[in-house]
Amino acid sequence: MSIFAPVAPTTGRVTVHPASFRRLVAAEWVKLRSLRSTWWTLAVGMLFLPAFAVSRVASIAQVPEAVGSDTLVGAVYVTSGVALTQLAFCTLGVLVVSGEYGTGQIRSTFLASPGRLSVLAAKLVVTTVTVAVASLVGVVLAWVVAAPFFDQTGMSIDLTRAEDTRILLGVPLYLATATALAFAIGAIVRSSAAGVATVLGVLLVVENGLAAIPWGPVQTLAAHLPASAGSRLLQSDAVGSVITVSSTTTFTPWQGYGIMVAWVVGVLVVAGVLLRRRDA
Amino acid sequence: MIEAIGLTKRYGDKTVVNNLSFTVRPGSVTGFLGPNGAGKSTTMRMIVGLDRPTAGGVTVNGARYAQHRAPLGEVGALLDARAVHTGRSARAHLLAQATTHGIGRRRVEEVIAMTGLDSVAGKRAGKFSLGMGQRLGIAAALLGDPQTLILDEPVNGLDPEGVLWVRTLLRGLAAEGRTVFLSSHLMSEMALTADHLIVIGRGRLVADAPMSEILTRAQASTVRVRTPMGAELAAALRGRPGIELTHVDGTAYEVTGSTAEEIAEAAAAARVVVHELTPVQTSLEEAYMRLTADDVEYRTTTPERTSDRTPARTTGAHS
Repeated sequence: MSIFAPVAPTTGRVTVHPASFRRLVAAEWVKLRSLRSTWWTLAVGMLFLPAFAVSRVASIAQVPEAVGSDTLVGAVYVTSGVALTQLAFCTLGVLVVSGEYGTGQIRSTFLASPGRLSVLAAKLVVTTVTVAVASLVGVVLAWVVAAPFFDQTGMSIDLTRAEDTRILLGVPLYLATATALAFAIGAIVRSSAAGVATVLGVLLVVENGLAAIPWGPVQTLAAHLPASAGSRLLQSDAVGSVITVSSTTTFTPWQGYGIMVAWVVGVLVVAGVLLRRRDA
Repeated sequence: MIEAIGLTKRYGDKTVVNNLSFTVRPGSVTGFLGPNGAGKSTTMRMIVGLDRPTAGGVTVNGARYAQHRAPLGEVGALLDARAVHTGRSARAHLLAQATTHGIGRRRVEEVIAMTGLDSVAGKRAGKFSLGMGQRLGIAAALLGDPQTLILDEPVNGLDPEGVLWVRTLLRGLAAEGRTVFLSSHLMSEMALTADHLIVIGRGRLVADAPMSEILTRAQASTVRVRTPMGAELAAALRGRPGIELTHVDGTAYEVTGSTAEEIAEAAAAARVVVHELTPVQTSLEEAYMRLTADDVEYRTTTPERTSDRTPARTTGAHS
């Protein structure tokens, strides 16, 4: 019994095309979908949205005195799971890169795309688009499960209201951007444990810790940190942030989100430069 | 075709590859031989652009690896066995690699069949044995049907049947006119597979010659001679170029650079009594060890040598 088939090295001609960006994106999608951890983190992150929406809206429904208050913005309550969803998606963002370094896969990846930057970009596109789609599905689910409680609480969501649309569609934008930040950090530290610790440390400890220091300059700095600034996109003008404790923001939603994007671009540039310079 | 010129890699003050220049030609299997830690893997990683040379450069098929628009179609590389995500199946791994170059699923199944991975292609690569991992690496290297193959210790972990298969495969690829460059730390394996040999030790080039030449050099035989008339034999052999007589102990001597017949005739002519005349073949491994004797990175210390040494004193270590 022979394990190895006695086949000639090549049967017929093999057609090989240049490793274009489109092909790299297609290959990264094959890689992302062929890992079980992808589906687990996406599912967990996505389900936080309906789970939180229904629990918060249902609990408001138990408090008749609150009904009718200006701060009961339906879109904010429906999207309140974002604070936890971002932890799952950011973990995915780190693992997408660091998992390749941890297992040695990165060498196969760079053999196919020795330019490195294009494969980093392809990976980023695939990861953020996937996260954005999952977020959108999560938001729709959250809306669907929370809607039955709207009448009791006096809340509503109306897509013709600019603020509602901005908050609901802001969720996929914000989560994709946060994932991109995690992705860039993963590319810099190249280790899953260090990457996840750094990202969660920044989101949970640094941002909230600084925001809790009641001193003007620190407050200003804290308001400029990525999640604090970016989550302004998900805030109603009537209610504060549900993601961080930062409350002293004076940014408009898009200014805040712009600051977050600037952070992501900055960290990605560092990741790109290091990617070119370091041995794989 | 692989051309390295002045290839150098330093990590801090440690020079791993030192001013290495060589050419690997198409149509033959070129072996890359050296002790562990000699810089073989680093050299191979520099060829495919994973490591950046500190100085010098290397081209594959006329261009730097990164300059090729479809590198998998130019070069197939098997580097250190694990270059695969442990959570992904072998088939998905190969499909992802193939997709980057628009290579179809048919070719993926083809390389799976060629490397005998059919029954395990759906299994996660993390569960693979060393040998299966090697086969997956070889399958990935063959995906783009490349003109040049670079394989770092390809038979590592394979069973005898797998070793034979790799050997036949590589010889076949070279016969088709491809460039095949494979590394090993086993001289015996090289002797069976390679046509040409590049030997390095401590990052420096030790030898770059056809296999046949290295074999002749390696098997330059020694003749063991026992004679009570050592001085007379030495006199009889003196003056002949290339012959060297070494006293082993008592009546035993070793002669290099000559055949048993030659020594017998010289002894007879000089009326020297000889008790024993035995040709001793130097093994390939011995010859190789002699070749790289000064260049091994991790040398085992012989007990005699250790006992000779005065024990180190720890004076002032904590002051």
